[in-house]
Amino acid sequence: MEGVKKGFAVGKRNIPILHGIEFEIKKGEFALLIGPSGCGKSTLLHIIYGLEGPDEGKIFIDGHNIWSYTKNWRADFRNKNIGFIPQQPFWIKSLSVLENIAIPAVISGKSFHASLPKAAELIELVGMKEWADHRPYDLSGGQQQRIALARALLLDPHIIIADEPTGNLDQKAGTELMDLLSDINKKFKLTILMVTHNRDQYKYGSRIISMLDGKIVSNEFQKF
Amino acid sequence: MHFGKIGEKINNLFFRKSSVKKDGKISQMRMSVIVLMSYRNIAANKTRSLLTIGGVAIGLGIITLLISIGFGVQEMVVREITKNNPDNIIDVSNVNLENFIVLNDEVIEKIKNIDGVSRVERAVDVGGKFYNNDSQVDSVFYGVTKAYMGMANLYLSEGSLDFADEEEKVLITSKLANLLGFSNPAEAVGKEIEYEAVVPKDLVDEGVEHESPEREKITIVGIVNDDANDNNSIYAYTMLDHLKEDFGIIAGQSGKVEIKKGYEVEAIRLQIEQLGLTTESVTDVVKDINSFFSLVRIVMIIFGTIIMSISAMGMLNTLSVSLLQRTREVGILKALGAKRKDVFKMFILEAAIISFSGGVIGLLGGYGLARLVNFIFNMLAVRRGVDPTSFVEIPYYFILALTAFIALLGFSTGIMPARRASKIHALDALHYE
Repeated sequence: MEGVKKGFAVGKRNIPILHGIEFEIKKGEFALLIGPSGCGKSTLLHIIYGLEGPDEGKIFIDGHNIWSYTKNWRADFRNKNIGFIPQQPFWIKSLSVLENIAIPAVISGKSFHASLPKAAELIELVGMKEWADHRPYDLSGGQQQRIALARALLLDPHIIIADEPTGNLDQKAGTELMDLLSDINKKFKLTILMVTHNRDQYKYGSRIISMLDGKIVSNEFQKF
Repeated sequence: MHFGKIGEKINNLFFRKSSVKKDGKISQMRMSVIVLMSYRNIAANKTRSLLTIGGVAIGLGIITLLISIGFGVQEMVVREITKNNPDNIIDVSNVNLENFIVLNDEVIEKIKNIDGVSRVERAVDVGGKFYNNDSQVDSVFYGVTKAYMGMANLYLSEGSLDFADEEEKVLITSKLANLLGFSNPAEAVGKEIEYEAVVPKDLVDEGVEHESPEREKITIVGIVNDDANDNNSIYAYTMLDHLKEDFGIIAGQSGKVEIKKGYEVEAIRLQIEQLGLTTESVTDVVKDINSFFSLVRIVMIIFGTIIMSISAMGMLNTLSVSLLQRTREVGILKALGAKRKDVFKMFILEAAIISFSGGVIGLLGGYGLARLVNFIFNMLAVRRGVDPTSFVEIPYYFILALTAFIALLGFSTGIMPARRASKIHALDALHYE
């Protein structure tokens, strides 16, 4: 990231949220973005994910300055290269758990028929095979986040962006999800950028990026 | 600073253009997947979807029922009228007292010479009095030709036309037979009765040799079917040649003109009227019927428009509610990479599926109901000895118009929610409560 700035208009005033953010995450890292509420973590995450544009600065993912492309290009890039786990998982109510996992593939132009075998592999990976035919909202919060992880992994992304995925989970479910994310990071050398408030989760990160009032105050690589 | 920003924007714009080119085609969701997802959403909200589809089906069903019966009744009436009065036959007469023209040989020849006329047959009607034993009955006494009888759809229920035109033979209606004392009309056939005739001078050529009898014997050779008038007519028919021999009648007051296929009836009527004659055709009645039913159709269209407006509002409401409930779904789809076009298609297809399902059910249901009404009506009619008939008809152009209307309904009600859905920003949708 190079000099990313962002502000929000409140009435006639522009309230600056991000003040020239710069950092780099290398392939295979498990980066944790930490900081107090309102420091701009989620805004930064949305900018990296391509949902919200920066006022200034550049974001390079796999060498692409993503905000120099069209909206449709970014949507396509997001679909094929970035897995997303929101704080609260959202689902297509009329589809089953397995079909929901297959959604990124059908968005990319595949049929459900062609997408479901990969979805079945991933539901097994996250240990939720027996819930495949259920409706997603029938599952507990922890189970839903595991399914969200499976959905994020469907198109073999280069990076996973997670916005406080354990924020609404109890400690046990949160730990299980973090263990799963950590395993996947190590097993597949998958880059993960995750926002968290929970200090207990700092141990999972290979890089801790700390934010305060829209600025990066520390960016440390951790060796285990 | 500002120049730097502008430069960067221009650079970005240029880069975007070249990037899109470089990165090739942006993927889109398959239409089959979009159809499946739209269908699943409709199926997931069964009650709401069924009520909406039902609303459209009832609206279109009522329209189809009314229109198919409307067209059917019109067809039936026209069919019944033209059954005994073919539309290629023109009735010619003269009711113009100021310029009375009889249908003599000269006039008949003029009519025959009109392009498109295939046949002309004349008829004469004179006052007649018939006697049988103590019975005496006043009746209209027609002088016709056998060809005229065919053109006028006059056929015999008893007896035959197997006699020479000059012979003293008469055909009578069953009512006249009864009045002459024959309890069963069939009994009258072969019986000899007496008659007198009052003949207008305009029809007689004194130069023609004739008998001018005062009271003459004549044999009944047939009973003319009079079902169309419930057997209440008091008519007698003899051949024109017979009247010519007896009274010197050489002209008729009326006639029938047959038009060749492919010729314009109205144009020929105009030419006949230019000879000073009056014409009538079944097409006059058909025109009146058609204009009456056109009026009925306008009322139906107004009625149907009101019904369909209510159905369309119901559909629009359903789709708007569906959009509100699915705002987060739209958000996650967009966050995961769905394009505006994909979301637009999903919502417009949902509207199309609802209107198509409602349209098909309405069309088939309305037509089926009309057929059922026809069936029940015919069942009751047969029990009362009336011939069954069909009064249900859907013209192909109505089906085409209805198909176009269904498509228009789906598109017009779907476009607003679909556009709104496609414009929703992923982040706004995910934060939507």
